[in-house]
Amino acid sequence: MATATAERSRLKEGRLGTLAGTGKLLRFHARRTRVFLIGWFAGLAGMNAVIAASLAGVYSDPSSRIESTATYDTPAIRSMTGPGLYLDHYGDSLAVMYAHQMILWSTLMTAVMFILLITRLTRADEETSRLEVIRSLPVGRRADLAAAVWLAVLAGLALGLLVGLSVLGMDGADFGGAMLYGLAHAAVGITFAAITAVAVQIANYSSTSNALGFSALGFGALMSMAGSAAEDPEGSAALWLSPFGWAQKTFAFTPEQTWTPVLVSAVVAAALFWLAFALVAKRDFGQGLRSSRPGRSAAGSGLSSIGALSFRLSRGVLWAGTITLLLLSSSYGAVLGSADDFLDSMPEAQQEVFDQAGGTVTESFLATISLVDAFAAVIFGLLVIGRARKEEVGGRGELLAAGPVPRSGWPGSYLPIAMITASVSVLVGALGLATVGASSLEDGSYFGEILTAGLIHLPAVWVMVAFAFVCLGWLPRAGWLRWLPLVYVFVAGYFGDLIDLPQAARAVSPFEYVPSYPVDDLDWLPLIVLAAVAAALAAFGYAGVRRRDLQFD
Amino acid sequence: MTAVIHTEKLVKRFGHVTALDGLDLEVSEGQTHGFLGPNGAGKSTTIRILLGMLRADGGTARLLGSDPWSEAAELHRRIAYVPGDVALWPSLSGGETIDVLGRLRGGIDKSKRDQLLERFDLDPRKKGRSYSKGNRQKVALVAAFASDAELFLLDEPTSGLDPLMAAVFNEVVREVAAEGKTVLLSSHVMSEVEALCEKVSIIRKGLVVETGTLAEMRHFSRSEVRATLKKPIRGLGDHEGVHNLKEDGLELHFQVDSGALDDVLTQLAVAGIASLTCEPPSLEELFLRYYGDELASAGVPNGNGD
Repeated sequence: MATATAERSRLKEGRLGTLAGTGKLLRFHARRTRVFLIGWFAGLAGMNAVIAASLAGVYSDPSSRIESTATYDTPAIRSMTGPGLYLDHYGDSLAVMYAHQMILWSTLMTAVMFILLITRLTRADEETSRLEVIRSLPVGRRADLAAAVWLAVLAGLALGLLVGLSVLGMDGADFGGAMLYGLAHAAVGITFAAITAVAVQIANYSSTSNALGFSALGFGALMSMAGSAAEDPEGSAALWLSPFGWAQKTFAFTPEQTWTPVLVSAVVAAALFWLAFALVAKRDFGQGLRSSRPGRSAAGSGLSSIGALSFRLSRGVLWAGTITLLLLSSSYGAVLGSADDFLDSMPEAQQEVFDQAGGTVTESFLATISLVDAFAAVIFGLLVIGRARKEEVGGRGELLAAGPVPRSGWPGSYLPIAMITASVSVLVGALGLATVGASSLEDGSYFGEILTAGLIHLPAVWVMVAFAFVCLGWLPRAGWLRWLPLVYVFVAGYFGDLIDLPQAARAVSPFEYVPSYPVDDLDWLPLIVLAAVAAALAAFGYAGVRRRDLQFD
Repeated sequence: MTAVIHTEKLVKRFGHVTALDGLDLEVSEGQTHGFLGPNGAGKSTTIRILLGMLRADGGTARLLGSDPWSEAAELHRRIAYVPGDVALWPSLSGGETIDVLGRLRGGIDKSKRDQLLERFDLDPRKKGRSYSKGNRQKVALVAAFASDAELFLLDEPTSGLDPLMAAVFNEVVREVAAEGKTVLLSSHVMSEVEALCEKVSIIRKGLVVETGTLAEMRHFSRSEVRATLKKPIRGLGDHEGVHNLKEDGLELHFQVDSGALDDVLTQLAVAGIASLTCEPPSLEELFLRYYGDELASAGVPNGNGD
C-alpha cells in the first residue's frame, strides 16, 4: 500500500515535476495582466489601423509613392525605416510602403511591451513576497516562469493576429501578407520575452532586468539601423543580428516576402527560453546569478541632502540616457553625410525643387534626427518622475516625508533631477550628432549648426517632463498619463507629415513649435514661450505635490 | 503640562470610507502615551495626519503647538517616526540609510548611532533589500532613537521584533522617557503598552472611545474575584455591582464594579473567607470590553461582557 502510494506520487512528480500548476498560474497571470494586455493590444493595433488609413489618404496614387522614394532612398532615411528592397516595390502597392515605414517602429514598441510584461510577471513578483506565497503552494519550481512564458507566447500570437487584421484591406494587403506583417510583430515580441526571461535570471532586481532587456532592444535597433543603411537592397549582415532586422527581412507585401526570418525568431526564442528554464533551477530563490556585495557601513559625505539622495537613487537613469543618446546620435551622425548623396545624381531642375521645398535633404534629415533624439531624451526624464512615484507607493518615501523635508524636497526634488537627466541626454545627443555628423559631412563648420538643431529642442523637452510632474502632483494614480503624451507627440512629430495630420491635432505637441532648424531660420520667441510654459507647468505641479495626500502602501 | 499632540474632531475620509470620524487625542509633554486599537481602527491614519502626509478633511490637529500640515518640514526636525511597515531603498545599506535620515535632520550623533546598532544587533553593511522585516524595523528604530527629537511617533514599532529585541526596545523607550521626551506608542501588544505607558487612548472606528491612565481606566471597570467561602451566601447575585456570578458550592467567581468592591467584600467577609483573589482587569480585558460586540459578531465569546 505504502509503496503503491509512493509509486503514484513519483509518477505524478514525473509527469508534472517542476512545471506542476502551470495551467492555473497561467490563468492567474492572464487575470492580473488583462488591463496591461488590452491597453497594449489596443494601442499597437489601433496605431497600425489609424496610420494605415491615414497613409491611404495621402499616398493612394502609385506615382506619388514612386516619387517619394527619391527622398526615402538614402542610407540615412533607410536607417530609420528599413532596407531598400521595399523601396523598389513602392509602386506595387500602398502596403509595401506602409510596411517599410512602420515595421521598425511598430515592432520596437512591441518589444517594449514584452520586456515589461515578463519582468512584471517574474522578477517583480520575486522581489516582493508575492512569488514566495505562490511557490509555497503545490506548484513546481519552474511553473511561474513557464506560465509567464506561455502568456507571452499567447499574447504575442494574439497581438500578431490583431495587427495583421488591422492592416488587412489596405491596398495590396492580402491575407498572407497581412498575417506575415502581424506575425513578424509576434516574433519580435516573443523573442524579447525570451531575452527578458534570461535577463530576469541574471539580474537581482526588476529594474536591472528591465535595463538588460532595454539594452538588448537598443542593440537590436542599432543593428537594424546599420543594416538598413547599407546599399544592398536586402540590407547588410547586421540585420541578421537584430530581432527588428528579422521583421524587416520578411519583406512583407513585396513579391519577395518570406517566412524564413519568422522561423529564425522562433528558433532563437526557443533556445533562449530553454536557457532561462535551465538557469532558473540553478539559482536560489530571490537571488540573481550575480551575488550582491555588502554595502558601506556609513554613508559617504556627499549623501547629505534630499537632492543628493534622490539623485543617488535615480543616477542609473542618467547613465542609461547618456549612453543611449550617445549611441543613437553617433550612429545617425555616421549616415548624415550620405543624406545628400542622391541629390548630386539628380538633374539640376529637380534639385531646385528640393531646395525650394525648404533646405537640403541633409538639413531636413538633421531636423528629423534631432527630433527623434529629443523624444528619446524625454523617455529618461519621465523615467525619473516614475521613480518618484515608485518611492511613494513603495513606502520608502514615508521615512523621508517624516523627516524635516518640505514637499518641494520630497518628492519635489525629482523634478529638477528629471529635468537635468533629460537635458543632459539632449546635450549628449546633440554633441554626438554634431561631432560624428560634422566628420561624416567632412566639414567642421557644420558642428555649430548641428549642435544648435539639437539644443533648440530643450524647451519642448522641459514641457514634456514638467507635464509628467503635473500628473504626479495632481493625478498620481494615473501613471500611464505620463506616457500617453509622449506616444502622441511621437506619432504627431514623426508620422505627422506622412499621414498628413491636421494642423489642429499637431498644435497640441510642444515640438510643433520648435523651429525646424536648419531648414527654417531660428526663431527664439516660440522657444521662450515653451520655456515659460514649462516653468508654469512646474509651478502647477509643485502646487499639486504640496496639497495632495501622500499615498504609501 | 502643555499638550504636545492635540486633535479635536479630526475627520479623514478615503472615498466612501471614513477612516477618522471625529477623533480627539491629547498627549502632554513628557508622557509616554499608548495608542491602542485593532487593525483598521485609524491609528496609522492619525499618525500620518500628525506628520502632514495626509490632509485632514475636518477638525483640527496641533503638534508641538503648530499646524502639522502647513509647518510639516519645520516640525519634523523635532520629531522622530518609525512606521509599522518599514520599506528601505534596495540599493542603500542600512548604515547609509540611517546616516541619510540623520543628516536630513541636521546631523547624527555618531556614538549614539553606533551604540544603538550594537544594542539592536544590526549589521549596517547589508543592503536594504536583504534585510528581514524585523531588521528593516531596526534600521528605522536606530535612525529614530539616534536623533535628538522631542517627540517620538512609533507606529507598531515592535511588530517584527523578536522578544529579545522587544526588550531592548522597551529599555530604549524608557531612556528617552526619562529624558523628558514625549512618546506616542501605537501598538496592539498590550504587555508592552502596560509596561511603558502612563496614559492610554483606545481608538475604535476612527474615534477615541476611552482615554486615561491605566489606574483610572481600571477604576471604571470591573475586577475579577474568586473566593472560597466558609458558609453559603445569599443575594449576592442581586447586587447591582456584581456580574457574571458563577457559584459552585462554596466557590464563587464573579466580576465586580470597582465602586461596589467595598460593599461586596464586606458581604463576603460576613460569610467568612477561606481564600480570596481579586485581580484588577488587565489592559487586554479593558481593551476587549470596548470591542465586545465585534468579538461577539465574530463568534468569540466575551468573558467580560454582560
